[in-house]
Amino acid sequence: MTILFYILGYLAVAGFFCMAYLKIRSYMAASPLHVRWELYPVPHEGAQKAAYGGSFMEEKDWWTKPRHISHWGDIKGILTEVLFLHATFEHNLKLWVRTYPFHVGMYMLMGGTIIVLCAVIAQIFGLNPQGGVMIFVGNVINAVVLVGALCIVIGGIGLIERRRNDEGLRRYSTPEHYFNLGVFVVFGVLGLAAWAVAPSYFELARTFIYNLLTFNFAPQTSTLFSLHLLLGFFLLIWIPMTNMGHLIMKYFMYHDIRWGDEPTNYSEKNKQKILEALKFNVTWSAKHISGDGTPRTWVDVATTNPTEKKED
Amino acid sequence: MKDNLRLTDVSTVDGQMVSIDLKEIPELAVDMHTMPWKPFTEEQKENTACILDEVCVLNIPKPKNREEEEELVNKFLDGVRKLFSKENNWTFLPMLETSMDNCVQCNSCSDACHLYEMSGENEMYRPNFRSEIFRRIYKQYVKKEPLAKWRYGDMNLNWKTVARLGELAYRCNLCRRCAQTCPIGVDNGLMAREIRKVFSQELGIYPRELHERGTMNHMKAGSSTGMTPEVVKENVEFIDEDYTEITGVGIHTPFDVQGADIMLLHNAGEIMAWPENIASFSLIFQEAGLSWTLSSKALAYDGVNYGVFYDDAQTARIALQHMMAAKELGVKKIVIGECGHAHKALTVIADRVIPFEYQVPRESCYVTLRDIVMSGRLKLDPSRNDFPVTLHDPCNVVRLMGIVEPQREILRKIAPQFREMPCHGVDNYCCGGGSGFAIMTRNNIEQWRGNISGRKKMWQISEAFKDCLGPETRKYICAPCSNCKGQIREILEHNDLYTKNNFAYGGLVELIVNAMTNVNPGFIEFEGAGEEE
Repeated sequence: MTILFYILGYLAVAGFFCMAYLKIRSYMAASPLHVRWELYPVPHEGAQKAAYGGSFMEEKDWWTKPRHISHWGDIKGILTEVLFLHATFEHNLKLWVRTYPFHVGMYMLMGGTIIVLCAVIAQIFGLNPQGGVMIFVGNVINAVVLVGALCIVIGGIGLIERRRNDEGLRRYSTPEHYFNLGVFVVFGVLGLAAWAVAPSYFELARTFIYNLLTFNFAPQTSTLFSLHLLLGFFLLIWIPMTNMGHLIMKYFMYHDIRWGDEPTNYSEKNKQKILEALKFNVTWSAKHISGDGTPRTWVDVATTNPTEKKED
Repeated sequence: MKDNLRLTDVSTVDGQMVSIDLKEIPELAVDMHTMPWKPFTEEQKENTACILDEVCVLNIPKPKNREEEEELVNKFLDGVRKLFSKENNWTFLPMLETSMDNCVQCNSCSDACHLYEMSGENEMYRPNFRSEIFRRIYKQYVKKEPLAKWRYGDMNLNWKTVARLGELAYRCNLCRRCAQTCPIGVDNGLMAREIRKVFSQELGIYPRELHERGTMNHMKAGSSTGMTPEVVKENVEFIDEDYTEITGVGIHTPFDVQGADIMLLHNAGEIMAWPENIASFSLIFQEAGLSWTLSSKALAYDGVNYGVFYDDAQTARIALQHMMAAKELGVKKIVIGECGHAHKALTVIADRVIPFEYQVPRESCYVTLRDIVMSGRLKLDPSRNDFPVTLHDPCNVVRLMGIVEPQREILRKIAPQFREMPCHGVDNYCCGGGSGFAIMTRNNIEQWRGNISGRKKMWQISEAFKDCLGPETRKYICAPCSNCKGQIREILEHNDLYTKNNFAYGGLVELIVNAMTNVNPGFIEFEGAGEEE
């Protein structure tokens, strides 16, 4: 049973990365090159232009000038969105007051997990598990978990309440919405319970991750912590399979689509990709595309005038 | 119906599903009354699937029997499958898939939509309403995901669902203001356009104004207006003559000048409806000493590309011909006239559709005009424009291309009383005629534009001029986009706002010409009874 628990842990971590990889691969494979579909403001235009939503296309003969991209602008833009949920704050404040603590709680638990992982790696390389550094890290983690789990529970319950009581949201909420939020709330409650009952949540987490990394399948000492972890394993695999996968896809939806404004004259790679995509066969059935039904590529379609009568 | 409407109603309700109560429509500071909906005829009810609301854009024939019902559903599903294939939809598939999979149904987009607001917050107009129906169909019937009904919600798929979804795709101006507010990056405007594509590209169902009279006419006659090359040259010659007399400056519009620096690409609708716009461009370019030309090649004297509203094949065909004409003339760049969707189609969309070797650089006329005005090549007297002026931002140029400041730099220089509308720049609202509606005229579409889609724009305009509403003060609505102008003209005419409020509307170039000192004064005409200059 103990070994199975650890196997589930390995599977959850591997599963998360596999699912994330598949999601990203599917996105990348969907097209060699999609059309530009940018939406302004685009933060990499630089602070001055981004402030009002301007673009390089405001410049005369822009194609003759070197392309300037403010990577810092993009980083700032995505960080503002991810860390503060800026768009929700601006456009849906009633939801923001609920979803922001929920997200912050998740960030804290995710960040806490990474810190514990680092501490365990340091321990494997000789850091004294009873030493001052580890005690400091332990205190930080115990505080982070308390606040993070509380935030998840409060935010999660708030989101469920909002979905149930807001007429507009209720119509668009499916059983899965409530299930997902419910699982998070239970996950947070179990974390809080484990925190309250055990002498140190950090010790439980550190020991588990240490055992996981060193293949030491020792039994768990806290049932509540084990249940908390089991739910965590499930969430790791479940998140990429649901609309919560925006955790992974948001990067592409912002950087590649909303801010993806690279003109073709600056990209040799894109020039080739257009030629590649135009060779795809088209099977749309409407008469103005399919014509007489002979197989055709996008090049054939684009160079055909459907109003011209065929000459014999 | 509003309070009780559920997503699944699209498949269950018999007859008209939604009724927009005109009493629910918000009132404005300007006198803009609502227009009563005309009831559908008995013949329409019998033969056409006008079963969504009071409007009917697609006129889908009502299936006569079970076989026809199934045929409609199966063809639709075939189209959806193709929509999600790389080969058939490489242009948009990544955006479509991410919008299908990552929406958390938070409804943050609702308040951003002018249609939702101005319909009295009718449920059907939530940007997510149609997307969610489409999403459920896709997950349940195309992708066939396990537990799809539980996970995404059930959606019965029958001919009524298909017909209503098609119509729903045409209850959106594709302005993408909703997408701008989405915290995740989901694009409900894109979803509406993709649904339009399924109907056009697979089922051969489209609004006749966009297809038969639009793109097909464009490819057949040379212009969506039906004007042939000979007629265009003749008309422009007349315009030159007329406006030489009006302005007192000799105007000559050049055609087919090989090796000119610029090929100017007008929306040909301007030639017929707003000749002053054509003349203004010619006058400005001529007086600025530019090397430029129009093309008289079929398709290339009309910058419109209605394909961007509903069909990728038509988009590519027209964009290619625009590029080819410029290549043949050997120009250094194409300058796109005052037409928003022509800007986006040729500059942004065509950029990754037309092979680079066939591309010619494209520039917005706002940028070219800014360069002319700010360089001092024209002698301008801003006091000739000393009346309140506000600026409409065409979505395609501003939110979707980030061209925001050039037109403002011009206005700040030539219009002393320029004032912004609320929610301007990239936060603007659609004029109400976006995505093809400005040229559609039947089955209550005009009423829809006046009652719902154009209402928010009139709110913006009335707010911008709130200190000078009424007939006493002349006011100019600068709308540098042909379709937007058409929409604004209709609202002004229908509500008699020319006289009641002394509004004039027009483009940016007309305002520039109005300020040119070598032009006879009073180029812009106000029909109202306001004070004299």
